[in-house]
Amino acid sequence: MSLISPLALLGAAIVGPIIVAMYLLKLRREERPVSSTFLWRKMVRDVEANAPWQKLRRSLLLLLQLLLMLLLVLALARPFFQTQGISGRNLIIILDHSASMGAADEPTSRLEAAKAKATQLIDQLPDGGRATIIAAGGTMQVPAASTSDRRELRQAIGDIQLDNGGGSDLGQPLTLASALAAREEDSEVAIISDGNVSIPGDIRVPARVSYFPIGRDTENVAVSAISLQPGQNSQTLFVQVTNYGASAAARRLDIYLDGAIFNAYNLSLEPDAARGQSIVAEIPPQVRVVEARLDGADALAADDRAYAVSTLGDALNVRLISPGNRFLETGLALLPGIQVTKAISGTSTFTETATQIPVTIIDGRAPATLPPGNLLFIGPISSTDYFSVTGEIAFPSLRPIGGDDPILRNVSLSEVSVLKAARIVPGSWARVLVDSDGAPLLAVGERDGRRVAVLAFDLHNSDLPLQVAFPLLLSNLMSYLAPGSGAEASQLLPGQPLALQVDASVTEVRVTRPDGTLSSSRDGGVQIREGQAIYVDTDPLGVYTLEELRDGAVVASHRYAVNLFSPRESTIAAQRDLTVPQTSGAQSTISREREGRQELWRWLALAALVILVVEWLVYQRNGLAYLRQRWRQRRAAAR
Amino acid sequence: MTTEPLLESSFIRKLDNLSILTRRAMAGDIQGERRSPRRGSSVEFADFRPYTSGDDIRQIDWNLYARAERFYLKLFVAEEELSVHLLVDTSASMDWGAPNKLQYAKRLAGAYGYIALSNLDRVSVSAFGAGPQAVPMPSVRGKRGAIPLFSFLQRLAPGKGGDLAKSCRTYMQTARTPGPLLLCSDLLDPGWKEALGALSSRPFEVTVMHVLAPQEIAPDLDGDFTLVDVEGGDPVEISADIGLIQRYREGLERWREEIESFCNGRGMSYLAVDTSVPVDEFVLSQMRRRGVLR
Repeated sequence: MSLISPLALLGAAIVGPIIVAMYLLKLRREERPVSSTFLWRKMVRDVEANAPWQKLRRSLLLLLQLLLMLLLVLALARPFFQTQGISGRNLIIILDHSASMGAADEPTSRLEAAKAKATQLIDQLPDGGRATIIAAGGTMQVPAASTSDRRELRQAIGDIQLDNGGGSDLGQPLTLASALAAREEDSEVAIISDGNVSIPGDIRVPARVSYFPIGRDTENVAVSAISLQPGQNSQTLFVQVTNYGASAAARRLDIYLDGAIFNAYNLSLEPDAARGQSIVAEIPPQVRVVEARLDGADALAADDRAYAVSTLGDALNVRLISPGNRFLETGLALLPGIQVTKAISGTSTFTETATQIPVTIIDGRAPATLPPGNLLFIGPISSTDYFSVTGEIAFPSLRPIGGDDPILRNVSLSEVSVLKAARIVPGSWARVLVDSDGAPLLAVGERDGRRVAVLAFDLHNSDLPLQVAFPLLLSNLMSYLAPGSGAEASQLLPGQPLALQVDASVTEVRVTRPDGTLSSSRDGGVQIREGQAIYVDTDPLGVYTLEELRDGAVVASHRYAVNLFSPRESTIAAQRDLTVPQTSGAQSTISREREGRQELWRWLALAALVILVVEWLVYQRNGLAYLRQRWRQRRAAAR
Repeated sequence: MTTEPLLESSFIRKLDNLSILTRRAMAGDIQGERRSPRRGSSVEFADFRPYTSGDDIRQIDWNLYARAERFYLKLFVAEEELSVHLLVDTSASMDWGAPNKLQYAKRLAGAYGYIALSNLDRVSVSAFGAGPQAVPMPSVRGKRGAIPLFSFLQRLAPGKGGDLAKSCRTYMQTARTPGPLLLCSDLLDPGWKEALGALSSRPFEVTVMHVLAPQEIAPDLDGDFTLVDVEGGDPVEISADIGLIQRYREGLERWREEIESFCNGRGMSYLAVDTSVPVDEFVLSQMRRRGVLR
C-alpha cells in the first residue's frame, strides 16, 4: 500500500497535537464549590470499582476525535493498493463477448469473469475519468460511449450478452478505440478477452494497450462439422469431431435421429485442431433432424452439440437457357439437389413463377424478356437491363478483389486463363468480385428484389471448367442465387440471417426457435420483403423451423440448423499476451502489476463518517440517556 | 448576616396557636404549663398515697379519711416548664445553597423556639461549628425571651468545619434538663451516626431537621468538574452526566433512608427538609403533620 499525497500526513502532525492540547486544557476541570464532598466521595468510591473503564470513558471523546482525525488525514493522503489494472483517465474497454467467452472454466463463465474485471477497471478509474465500453466479437456494440457515469458504465457492462456468431475480429473495435484514444490525452485501451481473436497487423493504437486474459482451461472437444447429404434412397451423415485442446481426450459421440438415439461412437481424440475424426453413416431417408452430441462435459458446452436437417426432396429447380454447354451441364449435374430444366436459347415466354424455378442461368445471348427469379449471366453478348456490354477484353488477368466473400470461398483462380471476355459495365448494384484491369469479370448484386451474378467470359473461352475451382464456384454461386435451398443452405452460422424465397400468396411466415418460442411475420419477428422472408435473430444454436402459411394453413416447412463451427471459438486456451502494435512501438500488452491503483479513500471517508456519528452520540449521551429515561417512564406510565 | 427580621410578623402570629408536642411528660426546673412526671400542685388529680410523717398535712384528703379512717395524701400532677434545646449546625457546609441552608435552619430554630417561648417553656440555643458563637445563649423563658433568641440566631455566623459528633457529645454532657431537642443540620459529616447516637444517650426528645438545599438534592451539573469542599475536605473530580447524577440521587436517597431508620430505631423524629420549601409552609403544615407541633 502506498500513498498518492503522503504530505497530507503532516496534517496529522499539526492537528493531532492541537486536539490533544485542547483536550488537556479542557481537562483542567472547572472548580465548583459544594457544601460537602461527603456524598460525592461516597459515590466515587462505588464508581472506582470499575475504574479502568471509567478512565477510558473520560477520554473516549479524545480517542474518537483522534481516530476521526487520523482517518480523514489518511483519506487525504489517498492510499492505494497496487493492482493489475489501468492508469489512464480515458479508458476504452474492449470486452470480448464471442462464443468462446461462454466457456465455464471461470466462475459462472468467462464472460461473467470478464464483466467483473471490466467493473473492477471502472472502479479504478480516477475521478473525472471517462470510459467507453466496446463489446467485440460478432457485431460490434458500443453500449457506453465516453461517459463518466459509473452507474451507466456498470449497467452497460452488465447488459452485455454472449454472441455466438461473428467470430472474434478485433479489427473494427481496435480501429474505433484508436480513433477514440487519438482524440484524448492519457487514454488507455483495455482488452478483456481470452485472447483467441484476430488483430489486424496494420493498426497502430495511439495509446497504451493492456490485455487482461480471461480463462484457464485449454481442453475442449467440439463437433466441428456435420452434414446430411441426400442420396438416392438414403441419406449420408457426416460428422467431424475435433479436439482443440492440448492433450488427448476420449469422448463418446451420440447420434440422435429425430430425438431418438441412433448410435454412439467412442472416440479417442488426439490434440490436433487441423484434423478431426470423422464418422460417416447411412441413415434412413425419412429422418428429418440429426443431432450429434458429445457425451460428458468440457469447458465450452456450445460446440458439444451440432444439428443437421434433411434436405432430401428439396431439389432446387434451375432453368438453363443455353445454346448447349456441356461444361455447365456437367457441372450442374455434379451439384447435389439441383434439378435442371433446359430451355431453348431465344425463348421469351416463361410460365413458371420464381418460386417454382428460382434460378435461371443464361449462357450467352439473353432472351428479350428476362425470366423471373435470380439470374446468372455467363459470357453475355449484349447489354441487358442490369449491365451494358461495351466491348471485349483479350487475355484478361483474373484478380479476386472480393476478399473472403462466400462466393469465392475455396475457389482458387490463380491458375485460370481466359482468352477473351466481354467488357461489361455493371450498374451500381453490383459488387465486383473478380476484376481485370478495371473491367469486372465476376460481379454479383441485388436489383429489383432479385439476385444477379455476371460471369463476363464464355466458359468455352477459358480453362476454368477444367479446374477444380469450377464446380466450387458454381456451387457457391448457386448457394448465393438460391439462398435457403440445398444442404449447404440449411446450415447457418450463428447470427447469419435466414433467408427464403416465398411466394406472394403466402400470408404468414412463422419461425420456431430452438427453445420452442415462435416468431411470426405478423408480429414483425420475420420480415417479408420483395418475395423474401428474412429472419435475423439466429444467435442461439439449434434447429429453426420456418413455416409458410397461407390463410392459416401450413403450405411449406423448412428446417435450418445453426451450429457453432468455428475453430477459433472452439480453441479456448487463453493467450497470455496479445500483439497489438502501438504507436509507442510496444507490441506486448501484458499489463504491469503496478499500473492499477485501487484507491481506498472512499472507505476511509466512510469510516470517518461513522466515527463522527459515534463521537457525536458519545458527546450527546446525556441527552440520549434522558430520552431513554423519558421513554421508559412513558412506557411504565402506559402500563 | 441579614438585616431583615428572622421571621415575618404574620408568621409569628400564626405560630402563637401552636405548641410543641411531646410524646411523654418531661420534668422541668420550675413550675410551668406542661405536665411533668412529678407530682405537684395543679388542678389535675394524679394519685393517692398513704401519709407518712413529715408530709404536708395540707395535702391530706379529708373526705377519704372520713371513709377509710386513714390518712391519704391526694396527689396532683405537677405542671412544669419544658426545657427546649435548639441545636443549630453552623458549619461551613450549612452556609451554602439557594435558599441558604443556614438561614433556613435559623428560621426553623427561631420558629420552634418562639412556639416554645409562647408556651412559657425554657429555650436554650447552641450553635455547632467552630464559629465565634461557641458560647451558647443563656436560656430564656416566656415571650420576652423571643427578642434575645431571635437576635442570637440572627447573629449566628457560619464557622469553618466542625466535628458534629463531638459537639453533640459535649452538649449531652453539659445539658442540665432533658427536653425536646431540635437539631438543624445537614448531617454532611462522616460522624453523623455517632452524633445522632450521642443525642439518644439521654432522654431528650430529639427531632432531626435534615436540611438540604435543592442543589444538593438534584445537582445541576453537566460536564467535568472538580468539586471543592467548602469545609476543606478532599476535592472530588467528576465527569457529570445524567447517569452519574442519577446515581448520586439514588445514593442520597439511600443515605436519607439510612438516617431515618437510624432515628426511628432510637425514638427520634426525622424530618427531611428541602430549603426550597418556604419556612412558614414547612412549619405550619409539615411539622404539624409529622407530629412535632400541634
